[in-house]
Amino acid sequence: MEEKEETHAEPLDLVRLCIDETVIVKLRGDRELKGRLHAYDSHCNLVLGDVEETIYVAEDEDEDEDKPPTVKTVKKQSEMLFVRGDSVVLIAPFAGTTQ
Amino acid sequence: MSFFGFDATLPKDRGHSTNAPGFGQQRDAFAGLGGAGAGDDDVIDFDDTYDGLGDQLDETDDAFNDDTFGGGPASQQQIGKDFDFAGQTSQISNTIQEEQMLYQARQPPPQQQQKQYAQQAPKPARSGYESYHDPNYIPQLEARADIWGLKPKQQPAPSRQYQNQTPPAVAPTRKMMSLEEVEATMRSQSYTESPAAPPVQPYQAQHQAFPAHVQQQMQHGQPQFQGQFAPQILQRPQQHQPPQPRPGPPPASRPQQVHAELPGHAVHSQQPQPQPQPQHPTILQRQRPQTNDHAGPQHRHVPPQAPLQRPPSQPRQILQNPNRLSGHGQPLAQSGQPAQSGQRAHNRAPSFPAPGMVITHPEQLLNLSEEQRAAFLEEDAKRAKRNHKIALLSKDNGLMTPQDKNFITRIQLQQLMSAAGSLEGNGSEAALAEDFYYQVFTQIRGAPRQSPHQPASQFAQTYLFQTNSRYGPRRQGRGGDNHMQRMEQQVQRAVEAAKAKPKGKQLVIEGSLGKIAFSNAKTPRPLLNIKRAETGDKHPKPHKSSVADRKETLRNVESVYMTLMHMEDHERKMPPPINEDSNPEAIQAHMEWRSKIEALHKSLWQNTKIMEPINPHSLTPHPFISLLSHAKGKKVIPRLFRHIDEQERITVVTMIVVHLDSLSVVSHSIASPDEPLTPAIREEVELFSQAVMPPLFAHISEAPLTIIMGLLGLILDRTNLHIVARSKIGMSLLTILISRAELLKQSAPEIVAADWDQWTDLYNRLFEIVEPVLPLIFPGTANDTDDMYVWQFLAAMGVGASPEQQQRLVIGVKDRVMETVTVSKALPAEMAGARLANVNLFMRAIGLDVELLG
Repeated sequence: MEEKEETHAEPLDLVRLCIDETVIVKLRGDRELKGRLHAYDSHCNLVLGDVEETIYVAEDEDEDEDKPPTVKTVKKQSEMLFVRGDSVVLIAPFAGTTQ
Repeated sequence: MSFFGFDATLPKDRGHSTNAPGFGQQRDAFAGLGGAGAGDDDVIDFDDTYDGLGDQLDETDDAFNDDTFGGGPASQQQIGKDFDFAGQTSQISNTIQEEQMLYQARQPPPQQQQKQYAQQAPKPARSGYESYHDPNYIPQLEARADIWGLKPKQQPAPSRQYQNQTPPAVAPTRKMMSLEEVEATMRSQSYTESPAAPPVQPYQAQHQAFPAHVQQQMQHGQPQFQGQFAPQILQRPQQHQPPQPRPGPPPASRPQQVHAELPGHAVHSQQPQPQPQPQHPTILQRQRPQTNDHAGPQHRHVPPQAPLQRPPSQPRQILQNPNRLSGHGQPLAQSGQPAQSGQRAHNRAPSFPAPGMVITHPEQLLNLSEEQRAAFLEEDAKRAKRNHKIALLSKDNGLMTPQDKNFITRIQLQQLMSAAGSLEGNGSEAALAEDFYYQVFTQIRGAPRQSPHQPASQFAQTYLFQTNSRYGPRRQGRGGDNHMQRMEQQVQRAVEAAKAKPKGKQLVIEGSLGKIAFSNAKTPRPLLNIKRAETGDKHPKPHKSSVADRKETLRNVESVYMTLMHMEDHERKMPPPINEDSNPEAIQAHMEWRSKIEALHKSLWQNTKIMEPINPHSLTPHPFISLLSHAKGKKVIPRLFRHIDEQERITVVTMIVVHLDSLSVVSHSIASPDEPLTPAIREEVELFSQAVMPPLFAHISEAPLTIIMGLLGLILDRTNLHIVARSKIGMSLLTILISRAELLKQSAPEIVAADWDQWTDLYNRLFEIVEPVLPLIFPGTANDTDDMYVWQFLAAMGVGASPEQQQRLVIGVKDRVMETVTVSKALPAEMAGARLANVNLFMRAIGLDVELLG
């Protein structure tokens, strides 16, 4: 309510703009989430709704050192997710990246 | 030679072993082993001494011996007693518990204890060390008694007493009893009502006759009896009264006589047997059944004046001769029985000062007249009842020390005050945010609209008041004042600290990029008060990419939400309504609140960006309209409507109507049978019709005709009606407008005719524009069920249409009507009914019915 508030607040202000929007969240452990951001906090703990989780699994069944392992994706659907902040690598607005 | 306890001794040695009675036998058997090895070869022949019984043993099923016999005969008995033990203990467990509690509760403050006793029976002050005058008194017994879970204080005296009672001369004449016999005796004691004295006495004698080491053996051999007998004792006071009756009450001179002869008697009995200390436990077991008899009942009936009349040393000696006293105690014991449990609790003073009371009492009582005695007994029963009650109530007394209580109270007060303090302080947003949902909940549930922290501080006051009144009188003279002072100081400090909390919760150090947020558990780092800079929009932004627009829109949404939340918070803090009598402070508070809410209102209106000039040629939609393209932007509308005034609502409705065709929910939601809507768009439309339409509808349905006409005119003039009419939202809005006008026409005919002419003009224009797209307004095929809103629109159009227009309407949608009717025939009755009802909505509006199409 005080009119004098700094224009550029903290980085998480950008995350705030994504509230109730679809976001893509990259997690440690080769995982990605796509879902609607319901809530977040300063630790980047997130609550996401209608989440699609994508897990990237490297498969090196042929034991060949030279060939890069093939990557498989496993997808999971969740209605609601709490994501602990320490595994969050990146948060991006979904519409902003695709449109 | 035998290792198994067979009689392997020489014939000449046998005399020795048979002479050794009881427990000595085993010893001799082993002692004889050495002699056997060194003995005469002629006499010692294994075959001669071995009777061959070992060969006859059937050892095949030895493994099951334990199954058959349990752990042996001794343990079998134990099992039987254990059952008894549990049952009997449970019967008195309450009493034991009470007594323990009482004892603990009373132990620390000695004054209190004395007071209690003074009420019950005034008696000479006792040091508590009287028992130590007795040479036989062994303090250690008290500790052990606790271990056994027995009444600890009654043991020393009984033990002495019993020893005196048993004349030492009896011992040698009695036959020795084997362990089995003793056990049998004990069992019969506990199961029958037969007098306990005869079997016990021999046993006692046996003890005394044994050499010390044998007694030790016995003690070690039967520790289990201690546990078995302990509970029974408490239960059996009356059982053993009968065997010791003395004919009639003794003459009044009797006590003196007793007094005279007892000292000698006591000395006599004590001297020959300076009992070794370890023996006591064993002896006590035998004695308790009896000692409890007179120690118990007599003890209970202490006349208040009795102890005053006798020197303290005398009663103890008298007590040592229980036979006499049991006679006196008898009648009292019976009359006093009901009160027993309660009384016992009180008699169990820490130092067992009973002897004095016990002895003197009966004579005292007997000397009284009949009615005095009755009165006394009645009094006594009353007292017992009351004491019992107290004992029940004070079961958990003394669990917490005063220090504990103070500690807890202070913690509670501190929390209370810091919470209330921060609520009352200026930085109340954080505290409100803490229980935000509770606040909202109470508001929703229609709780009295007070300032939300009022109950809390009320509670705090109540709490403080209560503690004051409670602690004040009770703690006086005990340093209670000191505690109260400290507590008050602490509270004051807590309040001050809460008030002094930094108002701003963030500290930005100059020149640094980061900032420090003050946070604690109650007011976590406030990240949601990000402020969208008002000045940002004034900067010319020539090249706006779509991403930048999007971000801008999102910022707008956030700022709207922010302001809304501030407003809602502020509303919750509305001061109580004022009237003429209100004091200036209240009026002042109210004024401040007013000005604040107005400022917030203003900034809210600004943040919606609705007043931005409309630029019809701009490529980017109006900021307010792009706000609506986001889900949260849609959701904010109903909340916004609550806080804006009528004029502003009209503005919002107008703004939406003007940009109807640029609304994403309209422009992106034109479905055709070939291209159904994507789920995302469908969701968006659904949300819009749930969030935005209700306030719009509510507003329009109360609007006068002029506004309706104005809105319809705007739609006709400014929007692409072909788009609007083919979207669900657009069509619903048109339906609302038309039906409102129709309602007004029917309900308010007094409206000037000129207005109606104007309306008819508008309607005709609308009809002309919509007619060409009539076949296209249906979102899907006839199989698509989601077409109700179309039928509603057609119905609304049909009501206001002229007969000629009605005909054109029918022609426009005839195919669809027929299709739907055909499709519904194939559907189950329920669905078909719904579909036909939709169609009928329109058909009835133009005076037809689906039935006619049959």
